[in-house]
Amino acid sequence: MTFFKLARRNMTRNFFHYFLYFGSMIFSVLIFFTFVSIQYNDKTQAAVSDYVKISTVFQLASIVLFIFVALFIGYSNSFFIRSRKREIGLYTLMGLQKKQIARMFFCENLFLGLLSLVVGIFIGMLLSKFFIMVLMKLLDSAVTVPFSISLLAVLETVIVFLVIIAIASLYGYRLIYHIQLVALFHDEKKKERIPKVPVIQAAASLLFIGVGYWVVLLGPNSVIWKNLGFSKGAFLILLCVIIGTILMIRFLTAFFINNMKKRKRIYYKGTNIIGISQLSYRIRANARILIVIAIMSSVTLVSVGASYSFYYMVGEWAKNSFPHTYEYLIPAEYQKSAESLLRDTLRSEGKRHKITSRASVPALQLEVELLELDGGAAEFYVISNSSYNELAARYEKNDRIQLNENEAIMLAKFYKKEFNRSYMGHNGKLASIESYGKRGKGTTVHYIGYKRVNFSCSDTVVVSDTLFKKLSKTSNPLMLEQIDVSDQEHLGKSDDQFKNAMTHLEKNIKGKNGYYDAGVFSFYGIYHDLVVAYGLMMFLGAFLGLVFLFATGSIIYFKQLNGAAQEKTQYTILRKIGLTNMEIRGTIAKQIGFIFALPFVVGVAHSSVALLALSRMIESNLIVPVVICMGIYAFIYFIYYLYTVRAYSKMVES
Amino acid sequence: MLLNAKGLQKVYGRKGQMYTAIRAIDLSIDRGEFVGVMGPSGSGKTTLLNIMSTIDQPSGGTVEMNGQNIGAMNEKELTMFRRNHLGFIFQDYNLLDTLTIEENIALPLTLSKVDVHEIEQRVHQTAEILGLDELLNKYPYEASGGQQQRTAVARAIIVKPDLIFADEPTGALDSKSATTLLQMLTRLNEEETATLLMVTHDAFSASYCHRILFLKDGEIFTQLDRGRQSRKEFFQKILDVLSAIGGEASDLF
Repeated sequence: MTFFKLARRNMTRNFFHYFLYFGSMIFSVLIFFTFVSIQYNDKTQAAVSDYVKISTVFQLASIVLFIFVALFIGYSNSFFIRSRKREIGLYTLMGLQKKQIARMFFCENLFLGLLSLVVGIFIGMLLSKFFIMVLMKLLDSAVTVPFSISLLAVLETVIVFLVIIAIASLYGYRLIYHIQLVALFHDEKKKERIPKVPVIQAAASLLFIGVGYWVVLLGPNSVIWKNLGFSKGAFLILLCVIIGTILMIRFLTAFFINNMKKRKRIYYKGTNIIGISQLSYRIRANARILIVIAIMSSVTLVSVGASYSFYYMVGEWAKNSFPHTYEYLIPAEYQKSAESLLRDTLRSEGKRHKITSRASVPALQLEVELLELDGGAAEFYVISNSSYNELAARYEKNDRIQLNENEAIMLAKFYKKEFNRSYMGHNGKLASIESYGKRGKGTTVHYIGYKRVNFSCSDTVVVSDTLFKKLSKTSNPLMLEQIDVSDQEHLGKSDDQFKNAMTHLEKNIKGKNGYYDAGVFSFYGIYHDLVVAYGLMMFLGAFLGLVFLFATGSIIYFKQLNGAAQEKTQYTILRKIGLTNMEIRGTIAKQIGFIFALPFVVGVAHSSVALLALSRMIESNLIVPVVICMGIYAFIYFIYYLYTVRAYSKMVES
Repeated sequence: MLLNAKGLQKVYGRKGQMYTAIRAIDLSIDRGEFVGVMGPSGSGKTTLLNIMSTIDQPSGGTVEMNGQNIGAMNEKELTMFRRNHLGFIFQDYNLLDTLTIEENIALPLTLSKVDVHEIEQRVHQTAEILGLDELLNKYPYEASGGQQQRTAVARAIIVKPDLIFADEPTGALDSKSATTLLQMLTRLNEEETATLLMVTHDAFSASYCHRILFLKDGEIFTQLDRGRQSRKEFFQKILDVLSAIGGEASDLF
């Protein structure tokens, strides 16, 4: 019999193990190929390249993906070979040399690898279009994506996987070479004594995690962070939490299980004795994998949660900095022409966009002394007391102000609490742009208020009506226009069109008035930039997150099913003693539930703390997006759990 | 009468390739008996045991225990019946590796949700009878074969079953451990009035029984009563029957 025939016969026999291995190989190829296809797709490049350097972002993500894929294949490969120890032993007994067996396995591995490469790329071709469409939707680009195959992507995938497969096959070759014949026939179950639990380590785990959480939640303004700096602080937290997690899963869980064993009232109740003892027996063998999965789940949840939260917040952030679809200053005589420009642009798009609100108040554009910056000045809007009250009434804000003489209020866009001291009760200077800095020019105002601007796109100074009248005489009187348009998130090209037209108009005005320099604040401009940047981030986060989730699920699944093969005899005994199938299923569900729940709970706890810190840092409430992410994660994870329980029970019952 | 089996029959395989393990067996066991089942390999000993112990279903015939028809029970009732009325001892001990000796013995009681104090009390009592009190906190792999089998016996008797099935209980033991175990089974039978049904192909083990059924080709070939004979005389009789059946020589010792 030739090696090839023997190898082929092997595959049909060990179908289940092959299926798992083959499945994970295909999965790896599939996601890698899909990813690079997206990276090299013209449409994605076009949609994003204006704003973000797509290649660097994708390159970084593809490196992460590569490392991950290599590790995942390595894991499944060694799992696969180890699960076939007995078979190798049998060949050795039959008189095959190790060299021959290793060569046989090498051939097999190579063949499987190549096959999965082909299948993976094929499925990937079908899937990549779907993913590109998802990405386009996230980026809010109305591009139709034709089916296309990127040769570059195929080439990169083939090269990367040939390397990985070659390394994995060589590794398998070596593994077989170093297997001892005696070891092959040993029962795979090592007679392991239940570890004595050192209470110190169990307590230390809580301490480490506690310190990590505490430092995270202190926030970057605390003394510790200021002394350490950001990178050292982050490193300290990571170190604490990781060490804590390792100790916790190693020792704290064992501590709890042993404690449960001591409570005979619980332990000696029904099937608890079986479940708890098996867990305590296996906790050590499972500890390493559980630690890896707990940490992976935390990373996944944090990155997915954060990237989705950012994407989710984009609309709000854009609205915070640009509360109106359009806002501009314009001389009163050009007001009409600007408005008709906008109306024309919107009309050309049909009925999708309509002007829903339009406010216009007299305003000035003056050079304003920045009191928090020694000697600094910037162009701000200046409006009158009554204009402020008018706008406040319009936008349903209840505060009305009353200013006298030279009193003023600063409405700051980049509001900072500590600047309050610089303005409240102090005097500052206003002057027209052309006269600022000249001796004796300008007007002094007395600030009696400093607050965040909330209905304008620019910093604004509010002065008393009498002062405003006086200032109007020395400066060009303008109108402040604030326009809201319906469905402003989807203005698309009309936004550019209008802005271009306005630039043109501004040039005309400038020809007559050299100092006019207003520009248009546009919501859509900033919104679209943010959507593209964070949409891309979210896409990558979600893509990698899903990959990680599938991988973690699969790893637990493998590990548990491997355990099932060993524990089959135990369940046969139990059935003979008088355990119903229902009870057996129940105890299996509980045991596997524990194995699944432990890393998940740890991951949720870690990521919740991290995201809580993030939400404090960016001062946004992230509960909704984070709960959505965790919900989806939990749902998929739960399906894995159900699947594992079913497969395990089936294996044990057969 | 504790157990009453009538017209038992077991056929394996499908049409064309039928194999009859048990042809037609009638059998009854009284409370307090110690019954042995002997016969050469393939005579249907283990099949008979599996059927009577509800692990396997007969192709024909009925088994009644305590007046209940076992054939009429569903899976769950059968499991409950096994749990509450039967005890098992297997050749390869079948202890759970993850449990200590104490926990292994306690297992059937915990499944029946007996009160903790009673469990502990009964475990210690049983362990004492079987000389396991020193080993309670050890794991099976730390104990010898004889000790493991005694643990299995303890696990079987702790629920005070109506009937204990022993399938080649001495099969994996050295002769000294086997003797100790058989003496303990005898003591359980006499002092605790446990009813035992033991399958064995070893004449020495069988000589501890009150009554022996000899199977050949799926039928009861003959029956031996110990009566007032000494164990040695009985042993000799057993050997005679065995050679008459014509079992393989290796089956005898």
